Amino acid sequence: MKEFVIRRFGYSVVSLFLLSLTIFFFVRVTGDPATLLVEPGTSEADIAAIHHQFGLDRPLWVQYGLFMAKLAHGDLGRSFYYQTPVMELYLSRFPHSLLLAVAAMAFSLLVGIPSGVLAAVRVGRFWDSAGKLFALLGLSLPSFWVGLVLILFFSVYLRWLPSSGAGGPLHLIMPAFALGWYFAAAHMRLTRSSMLEVLGADYVKLARLKGLPESLVIAKHAFKNALIPVLTLAGINLILMINVAVVVETVFAWPGVGRLLYEGITFRDFPVVQGVVLISGAMIVCVNLLVDLVYAFIDPRIRLEK
Amino acid sequence: MNKPGVPVRPEEGAAASALARRDVLGLLTLSLGAGLPQPSAAAPAGQVTWGVHISLAPTWFDPAETPGIITPFMLMYAMHDAMVKPMPGGQLTPCLAESWSAAEDGRSYEFVLRAGTKFHNGDPITADDVKFSFERYRGTSSDVLKQRVEAVETPDQRHVVFRLKDPWPDFLTFYATATGAGWIVPRKYVEKVGDDGFKKAPIGAGPYKFASFSPGLELVLEAFDQYWRKTPSVKRLVLRVIPDESTRLAALKRGEIDIAYSIRSELAEELQRTPGLVLKPTVGSAPYWLYFPEQWDPKSPWHDQRVRLAASLAIDRESINQALTLGHSHLTGSVFPENFEFYWPPPKPAYDPEKAKKLLAEAGHPNGFDAGFYTCDSSYANIGEAVLNNLVAVGIRAKLRPLERAGFFKGYADKKFKNIIQGASGAFGNLATRLETFAVKDGTYAYGHYDDLDALFAQQAAELDYQKRKEILQKMQEIVHERAMYAPIWQLAFISGVGPRVGESGFGRIAGFVYTAPYEDITLKQA
Repeated sequence: MKEFVIRRFGYSVVSLFLLSLTIFFFVRVTGDPATLLVEPGTSEADIAAIHHQFGLDRPLWVQYGLFMAKLAHGDLGRSFYYQTPVMELYLSRFPHSLLLAVAAMAFSLLVGIPSGVLAAVRVGRFWDSAGKLFALLGLSLPSFWVGLVLILFFSVYLRWLPSSGAGGPLHLIMPAFALGWYFAAAHMRLTRSSMLEVLGADYVKLARLKGLPESLVIAKHAFKNALIPVLTLAGINLILMINVAVVVETVFAWPGVGRLLYEGITFRDFPVVQGVVLISGAMIVCVNLLVDLVYAFIDPRIRLEK
Repeated sequence: MNKPGVPVRPEEGAAASALARRDVLGLLTLSLGAGLPQPSAAAPAGQVTWGVHISLAPTWFDPAETPGIITPFMLMYAMHDAMVKPMPGGQLTPCLAESWSAAEDGRSYEFVLRAGTKFHNGDPITADDVKFSFERYRGTSSDVLKQRVEAVETPDQRHVVFRLKDPWPDFLTFYATATGAGWIVPRKYVEKVGDDGFKKAPIGAGPYKFASFSPGLELVLEAFDQYWRKTPSVKRLVLRVIPDESTRLAALKRGEIDIAYSIRSELAEELQRTPGLVLKPTVGSAPYWLYFPEQWDPKSPWHDQRVRLAASLAIDRESINQALTLGHSHLTGSVFPENFEFYWPPPKPAYDPEKAKKLLAEAGHPNGFDAGFYTCDSSYANIGEAVLNNLVAVGIRAKLRPLERAGFFKGYADKKFKNIIQGASGAFGNLATRLETFAVKDGTYAYGHYDDLDALFAQQAAELDYQKRKEILQKMQEIVHERAMYAPIWQLAFISGVGPRVGESGFGRIAGFVYTAPYEDITLKQA
């Protein structure tokens, strides 16, 4: 087990190192941030001064070395645009994103799982078709369009909900729906396929042959097992919702991490993009590591495999 | 001290003078009239909320870090004040300085501070703060200022003298309009809290005090009732960041905000149709143009002045203006901002496709010609599409090549483009700084040069007589126009919306400034 833990931990560290390398160099391929911080026509001296201020006049490997040295101390650098430590910015946005992500996740699970179960036990019938349509729309309608339609209908015409910003529970409803719909559709589809697979398994057939009521077969024997991949996916999706809800947070002016990432990309704010991507990547790596360890703990075949 | 002092007259209008010789009495009369504290009106009351299109950065709370864009001035006009700044009365309006004068030899400027002015923490504004603010300044053009200013002297707490290494006719343009060097911060407070502390809790001398800031969400300001010019009418200002313009318009319609910045095209039409909302177009300092980088290449069709003129005559500016900015952009016919000092107004630009075809035929292209690429910043590819249609209609067949903004301006500056470039500039300065960048030898965006323009540019740089310098700079603009070095498009309008609660919004009161200001003049309608 010890060897397994060390190996998995090593993989995680290597993954994060490769992620840091990739994001550091790829973000620099996007161009020069100085040109976005000044008006066209600004003197070359001013642009050179910006390069110097941000350390962009140094060789790339020196910049990367400094970035990693700071990272080792938990310092993600300072935003070019906000002139504020990236960690401070991230932490100021994180609670808003967490709130939105939890609300959207709750919606996506409460809608996605029951509709997926219903679609699986009523294959080819009305609820299955309705579920498929719901999933199709959720996965294909762009979230900015959904957001704008919601604003137009519920804010401008009905005047029931605030159009944007964060504040009370009413502010949360539209962004949580716009963000959650896509994930609800994903959860619905996975639940459906997982349920169909489990419902065809031998032990479920056996339960039916034993004369158990269908509701008990579904609830006790099929549903619990079908839920495992859905919850694993939901864990990863929660991290994505926190960190990359770029479009929804922008449309609803929600002050979260996704909008911070959008601003970072828009202004070529390298430290911000690097910081958000690395934190997001670290979260995913940690969740995967945790899942691997739990699997290994439960199943000895995994921890013993070479 | 300067002896004898040559006062600088803050002239009315956009083309305010930097070095006009006038008598001291005239200056003092005007400046004191403009600057005397007004009797306090009623106590500030109510709240005005903005929907701002861009994320507000704490770096904009500190004038020392003013970058080369206009956006930070949106906040600086509220929280801070300058010695001299653009105001409704003119580009060089005395504010914290009640007057100033330039030495005969152009090597020094003396400012007299207005008596009784205070920072938000109650500290008086002194010459020491002015010197500290200048020396601390590290924003745009700081290198130019530091290289040319030899010393800042403070003979007493109300007088500040800037000694220059050499005569520099554009000193006031840079100090008062193009940078944040003349915006004053409290020395004692900054030294106490440090740069980061200042950005977290800025203290200035403007009409509004910092109250709170949630990064990415909103900035809240409270009225400063001891502001020297007048007590603000509105008690509380809230600047909410709403990045999506459809959402900004929805918030304005619902009354969640009172002022929405940057509402364009179809949404602007929607705003115009909505009862109770008012469309507020303002024109900044950003002209757009076509540039012909091959005009110095004898083998290129663009070498022929008639071809360049034909391109200009082919552009249906009126129709494009109506379609894209509801007719609010200014068709000045110039590639230089009309609100800049030393501006020369050219004749109204004509739309004459028949004449354009005739000129092309005379130049040896009766069936038009393949003009290669039309390169532009992709953010403004909609302008490019419209202009390109016009060019194709007369036979100038080019292909649109929109490039992402940063890549476009880098390629433009690195002189990598050919054929046709759709350019623009909103940089600060005056006509001399614009000509230097775009029209003379070694200019950042100049792909070639004309000897007579270069000679005139050198001449004006050494000319201390304001009127003579103006004549030279206007002559240069005439040459740029006559030679059709550029085909001007327009000076772009920035369109915003105002809700029904607002009385005076502050839009369009300061020439070339697209945001609301002065904030102390903003009012709410009486209930």
